[in-house]
Amino acid sequence: MASRRNPSFNNPKPCPHLSSYREKHGLSGYESLQKSLRSSPSGRTVLSRLQSTNPTCSSCPNTSIGRLYFCLICSSISCPSHAASHSLSFPGHDISVDVERAELFCLSCADQVYDPDFDSAVVAAAAKILHPPLRRRRRKPLLMLLPPPVAMSSFRGIRTALRHPWGLRGLNNLGNTCFMNSVLQALLHTPPLRNYFLGDHHKRDVCRQRRRRRGALAVAGGGEGPCLACVVEGVFLDVFSGDRKPYSPARFLYSWWKHSSNLSGYEQQDAHEFFISILDKIHDKELSGFNSKGIVDCHCIAHSVFSGILRSDITCTVCGFTSTTYDPCVDIPVDLETVYNTDKSASPADKTRLSTLAGSLDLFTRPEKLGSDQKLYCQNCRVKQESVKQMSIRRLPLVLCFHVKRFAHSVIRRTSKKLDQYMQFPFSLDMTPYLSSSIIRNRFGNRIFAFEGDESDLSGEISSEFEVFAVVTHSGRLDSGHYVTYLRLRNQWYKCDDAWITEVREEVVRALQGYMIYYVQKVLYHRSGEERVIPGTGCF
Amino acid sequence: MSASDDGSSSPRSQLCSQVFGDLLDSIIVDAASECHRIARLGLDRNLEEEEEELRLSAQARVADPSSSSDGNSKNMVDIFGQTHPAIASEIFDCMNCGRPIVAGRFAPHLEKCMGKGRKARQKTTRSTTMAQSRNSRGSPISVYAPYSTANSINRVPNGGSSASAEYKDYAFDEP
Repeated sequence: MASRRNPSFNNPKPCPHLSSYREKHGLSGYESLQKSLRSSPSGRTVLSRLQSTNPTCSSCPNTSIGRLYFCLICSSISCPSHAASHSLSFPGHDISVDVERAELFCLSCADQVYDPDFDSAVVAAAAKILHPPLRRRRRKPLLMLLPPPVAMSSFRGIRTALRHPWGLRGLNNLGNTCFMNSVLQALLHTPPLRNYFLGDHHKRDVCRQRRRRRGALAVAGGGEGPCLACVVEGVFLDVFSGDRKPYSPARFLYSWWKHSSNLSGYEQQDAHEFFISILDKIHDKELSGFNSKGIVDCHCIAHSVFSGILRSDITCTVCGFTSTTYDPCVDIPVDLETVYNTDKSASPADKTRLSTLAGSLDLFTRPEKLGSDQKLYCQNCRVKQESVKQMSIRRLPLVLCFHVKRFAHSVIRRTSKKLDQYMQFPFSLDMTPYLSSSIIRNRFGNRIFAFEGDESDLSGEISSEFEVFAVVTHSGRLDSGHYVTYLRLRNQWYKCDDAWITEVREEVVRALQGYMIYYVQKVLYHRSGEERVIPGTGCF
Repeated sequence: MSASDDGSSSPRSQLCSQVFGDLLDSIIVDAASECHRIARLGLDRNLEEEEEELRLSAQARVADPSSSSDGNSKNMVDIFGQTHPAIASEIFDCMNCGRPIVAGRFAPHLEKCMGKGRKARQKTTRSTTMAQSRNSRGSPISVYAPYSTANSINRVPNGGSSASAEYKDYAFDEP
């Protein structure tokens, strides 16, 4: 029986008793157990034989429940008190199975031990699945997302560049446009996006030709003009030109409105909506397609950078059948955890319950029992049944955008209010616990087994470690407020408040109420911090 | 195990205690077995790092409870040694009509100029946006749905700086 070992596990070294058991008996013991494995009501796999009596310890028949160990060699059952004596009395009878938990237990070591082949046997019996074939992973061309080559012809000389990070520049507020400025600042300093546009990867000539091919599509008002990605490239070049006077993104605003339907316009004053709108407009339909699994997979720059894949599992509570769907996403919604502070007089140090990003992600990926009014169709039962839903992240994007839902809407009162609750967020974030591979493995008791959904997550191309690089905050009330972005460049934080750029201490950022928090893969973050200087020119 | 020290050690209450004890033991071992496996297989979350982040955040909040970063920074000098007026004073030509416009008033001008005025706009009421999005966790059901966002009930309107009080004709409605 071949088992696919998951490289992300530590494959624990077997104790000498397990090794010698394996040498003598191989997998025969495990295989013969498979027919006796059952699912308990709690979903755990247990060892149970269909006998009339309950299993009891052979040495003390009065102990009926609790821990029981089933010897793999002679099938006798021992309780913890008599476990050691069994292996002493019968040399070689070391390896047993914990009946209640289907775990290997070494009676001599008196410790739980692990064998990937045993786990395979358990999973195969429990889930009744065959070993999934390993899929070949397609390597995505990431070359364009690396920092641009050092010599750049469009680069004018900078004098102060060495003192301040490249591309740090204020943005003029054009009249209530801080919702736009805040997101622009974040995008301008999103490493792969910056590298793409500054590296001249968006081909304006190709755009022009394409537009000519399509004919002058006249939107009411006379054509759309250059595509928004072309305009964005213009913004990048201007902001990174070395000029430190605040930049007015007027042409960008004009183009964005040109590309919006007449109904939108000024109404989109929410920074998050603006973010989504921009990604949508930079998105290139011609690069879209489906990958081998039938999931929408787009290679345009917007989606290459921001798009991840979410997995949604709906499990029927009656028969256990699970149906899975995959959907792309460009950001992750974060619900604030409800924190009950009953004791208002307690000092901050006493309040043990703190709202955190990790906690919200746990909430996002927890199994959620859907209400009885939300029954979903089960393919196995062929009727609508009560279901449990669980979300997880199938594939992480290069850049993660967390959108913190800082609003509470009351349907009855038809009012909304802003939630100013603080949410702790880390500077270094490990997304491993929220991956589909982790979530599903946990569902099956963390067995050593390559579950479907494993392959793409852990091959090393896209890691799960992220670093924060931009935080967009909103201060004020729902109907009147102000957006500010904090950028992390060369490990120094900068407050970007429209035209005003100032340095701030790290502590200030940690204490912020984030509205949109941007993380980039650690590898890309560190690489973008390496700015080389061409000797003699003073240019980067 | 259970505090049945009222003197009654009848076989019945002894049996109860024993059963309770066995159940409790079982639950404890469940947790221990799970944690043992997670630890041995290296699946545990890096608690040290997580705790360090929490500690740093707690420290930061104590040191900086009233976000002093929100103080009026508009009069101060930025890192490049520059100062700026509250309303951006740069002047450039409007791309639509060609007239020279002050930067800080460009957006309201452009809105009228391009005819994206509020009269032309059809308001989406809150009831329609909320009705569309009930389940707010993740994206829509269909695999073939285009790249739509999670949902759109969460909007924080306004992009205004403190100078927005001037724009009387822009008393923005609540969404």
